[in-house]
Amino acid sequence: MPKVKLNGKEIEVKPGTMLIDAFKQAGEDIAHYCYHPGLPTAGVCRLCMVEIEGNPRMQIACNTVVTEGMSARNNSDKVKEAVRWGLNFHLINHPLDCPICDQAGECGLQDQYMKFGKYTPEMSEQKVKKRKVVSLGERVVLDSERCILCSRCVRFTSEITKTNELGIFNRGDHAEIGTFEDKPLNNNYSMNTVDICPVGALTSKDFRFRQRVWYLKDASSICTGCSTGCKIRVYYNEEGLFRIKPEHNPEVNGYWMCDKGRDIYKHVNPEARLQEARWGQVGNWQVKDIAEALREAGEAIRASVRDSHHSKVALVLTGQQTLEELTAAVKFFLSDLNSRDIYHWINNPEEMEKFDGLLFRGDRNPNTKGLLSLLASEKVSATWAQLEGKLNSHEIETLMVVGPEDPGVFPDLAAKLKLFAKAKRLVWLSSARVAAVDQVTTATWQIPLKSFFEKDGTLVNAQGRKQTLRKIATLIPAAVSVDQAVAVMSGREKAVPMGKFELNWKKTNFFVGERGSL
Amino acid sequence: METKLLSQHYDKPEYVSLKGYLNLGGYEVLKRALKMEPKAIIDEVKASGLRGRGGAGFPTGTKWTFLPENGEPRYLLCNADEGEPGTFKDRIMLERAPHQLIEGMIISAFAVKSAKSYIYVRGEYQMCIRKLEKAIREAYDAGFLGKNILGSGFTHDMDVYSGAGAYICGEETGMISSLEGKKGQPKLKPPFPAVQGYLAKPTIVNNVETLAAVSLILRDGAAAYRKFGTEKSPGTKLFSVSGNVKKPGVYEVPLGYPLADLIQVECGGLDPGRRLKAVIPGGSSAPVLTAEEAMKATMDYECLQGMGTMLGSGAVIVIDDSNCMVDLLKVIMHFYHHESCGQCTPCREGTGWLHKIVHSIVSGEGRLQDVDLIPRVSRQMMGRTICALSDAAAMPAISFVEKFRDEFEFFVREGRSKVKGHLHA
Repeated sequence: MPKVKLNGKEIEVKPGTMLIDAFKQAGEDIAHYCYHPGLPTAGVCRLCMVEIEGNPRMQIACNTVVTEGMSARNNSDKVKEAVRWGLNFHLINHPLDCPICDQAGECGLQDQYMKFGKYTPEMSEQKVKKRKVVSLGERVVLDSERCILCSRCVRFTSEITKTNELGIFNRGDHAEIGTFEDKPLNNNYSMNTVDICPVGALTSKDFRFRQRVWYLKDASSICTGCSTGCKIRVYYNEEGLFRIKPEHNPEVNGYWMCDKGRDIYKHVNPEARLQEARWGQVGNWQVKDIAEALREAGEAIRASVRDSHHSKVALVLTGQQTLEELTAAVKFFLSDLNSRDIYHWINNPEEMEKFDGLLFRGDRNPNTKGLLSLLASEKVSATWAQLEGKLNSHEIETLMVVGPEDPGVFPDLAAKLKLFAKAKRLVWLSSARVAAVDQVTTATWQIPLKSFFEKDGTLVNAQGRKQTLRKIATLIPAAVSVDQAVAVMSGREKAVPMGKFELNWKKTNFFVGERGSL
Repeated sequence: METKLLSQHYDKPEYVSLKGYLNLGGYEVLKRALKMEPKAIIDEVKASGLRGRGGAGFPTGTKWTFLPENGEPRYLLCNADEGEPGTFKDRIMLERAPHQLIEGMIISAFAVKSAKSYIYVRGEYQMCIRKLEKAIREAYDAGFLGKNILGSGFTHDMDVYSGAGAYICGEETGMISSLEGKKGQPKLKPPFPAVQGYLAKPTIVNNVETLAAVSLILRDGAAAYRKFGTEKSPGTKLFSVSGNVKKPGVYEVPLGYPLADLIQVECGGLDPGRRLKAVIPGGSSAPVLTAEEAMKATMDYECLQGMGTMLGSGAVIVIDDSNCMVDLLKVIMHFYHHESCGQCTPCREGTGWLHKIVHSIVSGEGRLQDVDLIPRVSRQMMGRTICALSDAAAMPAISFVEKFRDEFEFFVREGRSKVKGHLHA
């Protein structure tokens, strides 16, 4: 393990470490734009200048491998001046339109200017004019004048997705990022270019101009968009959730996430949610108190078991809920009801095994592995065909379905609901408001569930890795988790703890610190 | 006195063809070289003290020893992307003596054990390209190229590659990128080309004149070569002289030759009634010399370095008192602004900034602080980038302003040229 001395601080680093990483490890500030730990080195912004003992020329830390006994510093006047001028060069042609720039508040230029710059600009010439508001694809917009040509996005499409949509065209200060004719930036990872863009050059069509970032709180979570389970950051305030970005997790997603995963906030927001418990059927629905609805539904399920010699109930589960929730539902059936009629609803059978080689998996459920291992350990072996047979022959009196959190990934939803309607009574638990459920022709309780944003729990991803979900805030006061629902349905509890619309996420001027994607 | 070692036969039209070249003793050195140990050739080149003629002046033999002994295929690239404003000696060499280069390249390739070489020629040099292609065909037909050259067991293939008009492709890693089919942009170093160059294989890049000189050194021996030039700058060099002299052209003189003699004797001096004002001794990127400095300068690496400028590619631009230095700097800054590849920020933004400042002054819109801003911006562009283009733009800017400050200040104050007396906008 090489020992290095950085600004006089001695630390030990792994062999092969780049000097810039060593500086970060030592807790020493180092300016940079083009360097990104997930991308190959470009060495073009020339900001991570360091003085290395024994070398008369300043070197860039991002292309210098540490060696035993190396002594480097970036706090000398010489380096500080070089960095100040480096920022100066970056900014001479950069429009000072921060007030209308979507990146303001989480901009690398702003952050680094405040930290390393603070010079008086002397540029009095005309700035270079370049293209504005260029649509690069379905999700990404380019403002070329703001671009500092760090080439992160280009390297992302060439080295990570290997799709090569982006290139740098022209030379010198007329150089611009762009796409090739007829090849827009439409890959499933395109939004990562927005994340890694250190300035406001690449912005997200989905997010731009919807919120100023200093009005957004953020919290860590797990993506529920597929079975990969990327680590994410959710950005929200009292008006709802606004965007999702990846968070570094070397074991699962590295620095990236897919574009599909970024949409999962949409089915969490109140307008897409089942807001209260309901009872009825097509054309005749009435809102119910959540506890009352659960007591009635539980009574119906337990009555169906009591009244007959063989099981007239069934439980349908999806890989959408946490392991704790699924376990509670399974235990309810196995122990309380003595029924083994538990079925796994596979929403997209032909896609389940698909994997794009990077992150995105065809199994669009965050916890299929968890559900499968739970069913295996409880030796539940009922097949979907058995359920179909029982429903078609009207053997099932009360059917309990723990439905989708994201109905968008259930292409078979309408067809399955027709099948479920063959039961005499349906207990439908779901966080989403599903129009097809309102058309059901059988007596139904609709129970609002909590989304991933509102509960604690465990998800088992495709690698078999258990990941912990943490409650961030409550959006729908009436919503319950499956285990809370089961506690009432089984008669163990009389009421559910009512969630309340939490005040800790009031839209105020949050201090976001340095959020620039550096 | 001109000392024609390389250019001995450049005045003979038949020297272009294989027949003419052979009649004048061509390819004799190759025959002898192929019987030598490659190591012995490298030692001879090292002993000669030959320094790269492309501009940097790096010792050629030393460069060759940087190649790793790892059994990987190696490439030899000839840099004929002559783009430095003021330089045109490679063009003369390629037009007058393509076989001289080819012979030198085969010998060099044999020395560094390379089976494939490319000559990367500036795109505008179409005549050179045609002549080189013809000469290479002739060399193949005569058995000097291809499999088992002259029964030596050494196999070598050679090709010509046309550039597309970018100055930056004359930088060796920019050239390699271009040759690989990529945008012509210099690569981050390390790794250096000798370790990871063309197609990530060990690669040697040498200038036309350097490679041609290799066969000369082997013909006469290192000791004979060292009789010319100085201790640290041995041999002769081709100088491209342009500007306000009576006989501009390419002249071969020993290194260490007085610049004053080159201008007065070889080039016939200035036009009558004109006074020497300044000389750019090594291409547009070399800091300018005042007339007094120029009269004291000798054309070798160490003297010019000592005067704060450089020999570069040997492009001497003679400037008499009819020229406005502000105007000239604008032309030079326009060039570097236009040619910056744009990957490193200080160069991309700095070259444009400098050009705009000088343009403002020339347009009569300059401010007095701009005169100081030029060298201040320039100094921050030096030694900060992947390649030397940024330095190449900064060096003339600093020297022009520092040595001819009165002309810049006059322009700002009066809104017109001190020399020409009118506005150039």
